[in-house]
Amino acid sequence: MTEIVQLSRRNFLKLSGATLAAAGLASMGVKVAWAQENGLTYDTIVPTLCEQCVWRCGVLAKVKDGKIHKLDGNPANAHSNGKLCARGQSGIMTTYDPDRITTPLIRVGARGEGKFRRASWDEALDLVAQNMLDIKQKYGAEAMIFSSTHNLSQPLFENLLYGFGSPNYGTQRSLCFNAMVVAHLMTYGLEEPGRDYTNVKYIIYTGRNMAEAISTSETASLMDSLAKGVHVVVLDPRFTKTASKATEWLPIKPGTDLAFHLALINVIMTNQLYNVEFVEKNTIGFEELAQAIGPYTPEWAAPLTGIDAATIDRIAREFATAGREAMAHPGWRTSNFVNSFQAERAIAILNALVGNWGNTLIAAGGEGGGIPLGKPTQPPYPRITAQRLDGVPWKYPLVPLKIGVFQEIRDNVLTGRPYQAHGWFIARQNPIDSLPDRAKTIEAFSKLDFIVTVSILPNDTEWYADVILPESSYLERYDPLLVLGNKAFLRQPVVEPIGDTHSALWIHKHLGERLGLADYFQYTDEVNYINQQLAPLGLTVDDIRLKGYYEAPHQPSEVAAEPEYKFNTPTGKIEIASETLRKAGQPAVPAWQEPPEPASGKFYLLTGKVGQHTQFATQNNQWLHQLHPDNPLWIHPQAAAERGLADGDIVTVRSDVGEVQTAVSVTEGIRPDCVWMTQGFGKLSLGLKTAYGLGASDSDLHVTVTDPVSGGQALSQTFVTVEKA
Amino acid sequence: MSDEILSLAERKRLRAKKIKKHGLANILTHWFNVASWVILLSTGLALLANPNLRIMPQGYIDFFSHLFGGVGQLVQAHKVFGLIWLFVISYNVLLGFRRYFVPFARKRMLLTSDDLSWFREYGKKLLGLKYHLPPQDAYNAGQKAFGYVVILGTVTIGLTGLIMTFAYLLPLELRGIVQWLRPLHFLAVGGIVTGLVIHVYMAAFFPEEKSAFFSMFNGDVDALYARLHHKKWYEDKLKEERAYELKVRLEELEAREAETPETEKQATA
Amino acid sequence: MANQVKKYGFVIDPRRCIDCRACLVACRAENNVPLDNTRIWVYDQGVVGEFPNLTQQFVPYNCMHCDNPPCVAACPSQATYKRKADGIVVIDQDACIGCGLCLPACPYHVRFVNTQTGKADKCDACVQRVAQGEAPACVATCIGGSRLFGDLNDPLSEVSIALAQAKTIKQLPAVGVDTGPNLYYINDPVDEQQLAVTAPHMPASEAIYQKLIIPGILAAVGTMFLGQAVAFAKQLRKGESEYDE
Repeated sequence: MTEIVQLSRRNFLKLSGATLAAAGLASMGVKVAWAQENGLTYDTIVPTLCEQCVWRCGVLAKVKDGKIHKLDGNPANAHSNGKLCARGQSGIMTTYDPDRITTPLIRVGARGEGKFRRASWDEALDLVAQNMLDIKQKYGAEAMIFSSTHNLSQPLFENLLYGFGSPNYGTQRSLCFNAMVVAHLMTYGLEEPGRDYTNVKYIIYTGRNMAEAISTSETASLMDSLAKGVHVVVLDPRFTKTASKATEWLPIKPGTDLAFHLALINVIMTNQLYNVEFVEKNTIGFEELAQAIGPYTPEWAAPLTGIDAATIDRIAREFATAGREAMAHPGWRTSNFVNSFQAERAIAILNALVGNWGNTLIAAGGEGGGIPLGKPTQPPYPRITAQRLDGVPWKYPLVPLKIGVFQEIRDNVLTGRPYQAHGWFIARQNPIDSLPDRAKTIEAFSKLDFIVTVSILPNDTEWYADVILPESSYLERYDPLLVLGNKAFLRQPVVEPIGDTHSALWIHKHLGERLGLADYFQYTDEVNYINQQLAPLGLTVDDIRLKGYYEAPHQPSEVAAEPEYKFNTPTGKIEIASETLRKAGQPAVPAWQEPPEPASGKFYLLTGKVGQHTQFATQNNQWLHQLHPDNPLWIHPQAAAERGLADGDIVTVRSDVGEVQTAVSVTEGIRPDCVWMTQGFGKLSLGLKTAYGLGASDSDLHVTVTDPVSGGQALSQTFVTVEKA
Repeated sequence: MSDEILSLAERKRLRAKKIKKHGLANILTHWFNVASWVILLSTGLALLANPNLRIMPQGYIDFFSHLFGGVGQLVQAHKVFGLIWLFVISYNVLLGFRRYFVPFARKRMLLTSDDLSWFREYGKKLLGLKYHLPPQDAYNAGQKAFGYVVILGTVTIGLTGLIMTFAYLLPLELRGIVQWLRPLHFLAVGGIVTGLVIHVYMAAFFPEEKSAFFSMFNGDVDALYARLHHKKWYEDKLKEERAYELKVRLEELEAREAETPETEKQATA
Repeated sequence: MANQVKKYGFVIDPRRCIDCRACLVACRAENNVPLDNTRIWVYDQGVVGEFPNLTQQFVPYNCMHCDNPPCVAACPSQATYKRKADGIVVIDQDACIGCGLCLPACPYHVRFVNTQTGKADKCDACVQRVAQGEAPACVATCIGGSRLFGDLNDPLSEVSIALAQAKTIKQLPAVGVDTGPNLYYINDPVDEQQLAVTAPHMPASEAIYQKLIIPGILAAVGTMFLGQAVAFAKQLRKGESEYDE
């Protein structure tokens, strides 16, 4: 920084040495050319963490005159490595969104009418606490549903939920990666294996759209790998940007990933191409699978998948040849069909067969562990005996409690079974848009007495809320520390909050105190909370503020010559055959399950991400809106021709639960039996002045279908008709 | 110039007599205009730095660029000085619009048949032929013509400069007109400069116009100059003078009458 | 330029571009580019081929910081110039009069009139970042590593190494003028036809200005001057008797 100051002083001297006329002009406010060229464009740099998605890149925020000027990626953060994607770069406009909620709002009109009045925090929090306590008193704590999408303040949210005494915890996970998570829990004993691209030579992505569903560091790793000549196979019914980069794109028929991977396993097993040593040492149930895999030949898979047998056979052999340097990516939003769980199991087993564990697949996904952080003391949670409304575990025994089956809650709200819910506390989440079958969600909302949300924007869920508690944007607030490898990262305010907004740490604490849960929030403010986290390290926030993170001294890990792996499964090994699954009445080894197909004249409705938006949250961001303003429906030219459709025509898309009107984009880049749209458009909230009225909502069309094993919402199992509007 | 012959005594008498030609406001405006033109023309020429447009040598352009601390400040200075110039000139014209400018335009600037013959005769003079210049008003036809160039040019320069300075406020579709305003600005300046060459020469070097030159300092010309060069105006002035004398005399008469004591009046009655 | 110590330039590998457009936003923020404008582009060349044999190319694109920039030649006020020290073509915003002549002069169409300032605008390689030792905003945030920037005169710079290792190298030739662009596309041939590179164009107004108005006015002023000079000479010869007899 000293260097920078000197530079600007030198420039200043240059100015004072200028002629009288020039000085006169400069004093009149006329800008000077060299200042523009050499001057600093910012006053300070504040290191913090991104929250434009859940990947949590490191951010170096440049501030000028109290306003955020520029966000750069933090090279010290392994998730960003100095880079940010378009969404991360646009964080400035999340903070400066003109549509932000700046004070607590209390509904005055009918629900869904969008009429609110401003209120003080005291009034709003008192009202929320009173309603929640009323519900608890009349119907029991379980009549309150709590839901929140994965974020750094989740522990405080959980304190509210469990301290209050409700079992009803809604996360976004079943709408996304339940199939992957549950399959890997059943196979490797962990939710999600990490990926290491250092030595990779061969990658199979099953629907993982790395170039558009961007995870900054991993996307960068893929691009580096491709440049190095790594063979990348992309299975996707759509020609995604990842597919356009891949070595080969296989437009597989939706729902048949399982068949493809079973055939790969078949080729590898029947030709003894697997890593014998690794399999013998680290897996269990190989024999059982060997006996079951027989029928799943490439010739069997070819008609199902639409990929010819020779290609499947070749890929299997290439994958096996790459061996420990091969990677079948576990994927991310993997809950597509009810057989997706089995497909994920097959992928997990495929990796086990080549023994890539500890090389391309690794234990740590990155977050958590590592550094022993403190936290405020708190009493144990009250014992909760009520059943969960999402059917875990009484209907979905294999789904972890922390993950849940979010979409099922609504049905139970509507039927009132096993009991009637009366209130919903929603933090940093948008279930109106994110849950399938939006009409059903809105209907479920109408059954509730009280809905409160914590949000930055008046998004669609806020539109239907009774009280809105405005949160500060991530660039204006603290959150609990993020541990990443051997570093603990700080999210800290870059600028003063806009309006009367607060952090989740503050909101949850002040609501908790009103609910009689003060013991669960034993911190005075945000900084005090983080200081308590840092206490075991003998540090305070001020010690790490400048760098933005604490780095634990590097401990050389002892690498055994022959690594002994221990997996957190009942057998301690990678479970090719799972007794847990067998006991639950599921096939112990992956077996083919026929997915449903669209009737004649109907399409698979596929949804997925674009690189410029995060789920249902960023459509109103003006910079991202400029890059990607709406979501036309992709359709193959042949299918379009059959319906007399030209590019840009407006069509009616109809599913079993709803219909939308949208423009079509006619492209060769999609299977003729599929249509595709990205999510998050078709907003209902008039509060979103930038995004309102643009595109269509896939949630209006999605049929609720839950995978009985993982609890995942089968997001591709919706079939639609498309006709000219 | 009139070619009539005057006696030496008459010349001496007329030379000593001063006639007011310019008011103080007029004089100050003129010299403010001169100063502005020196600054704006010199900076403007320095702005024509592109090799395709350059008129002055590189050294001149570099000198001005350095003097102002860069091309950017030179542009800004040109704009600021231009705005000051435009403001002062417009303010002065508007301030004296009804009292001075309108009568000036009506009485002094309209072209007469004499003006047309003046052009014809002056052309003969330039060609070295025998000529007879008709009597001229306060400004001769050549001056009037230059006046038109100046007025038209000033309006053009002012308007084009003003629009170019604030072009960023224009809607996007209209910004392209700047491409036409620049040549127009230049053309107007060029037109005035062409006239200025004569104007400056006449005023500063031409002996016959010496009196006019000094009138831009003290406001007066001598009557001989007026009589010889602007006979019509001179005669008007004489008429005015006589009328004024008549008026003064009448007033004196009335005053004297008023002073006559009441008793005397009654007595006369 | 003989005394140009550095020669900054861009090297772009379209194979590595994922069309995420982080660069566009980074540039917008860094340089306060209004929403209506952009200084840089990623051209999606569209899906080519028939299902399922498809290709798609994304071409990052911005000012080429030419050795012989037609925009500099077109700028009437010298607001646009090529920096002697490093070759970056910049616009002195104070000197720019917003005439827009540089827009059609650029064969690569990288220039625009900024809707907020009314001045010409374009990529200036984030000179304010480069002065601090940072890469331009687009390069710094490029996830795929498609955009590279550095000193082409330094054989050890990232760009020089990338060029040395490139399978193919392509500069975009302009029509009818050797611009000497300092933006290199490597490893993936790009099509200048598709990128609509043209010849520099001069509007009629400017042609009239340069070819007619300026010489015309110079001739008029010159003639007047000459006339006066002759008259003055005559006057000197005859003396000043005419008036002061």
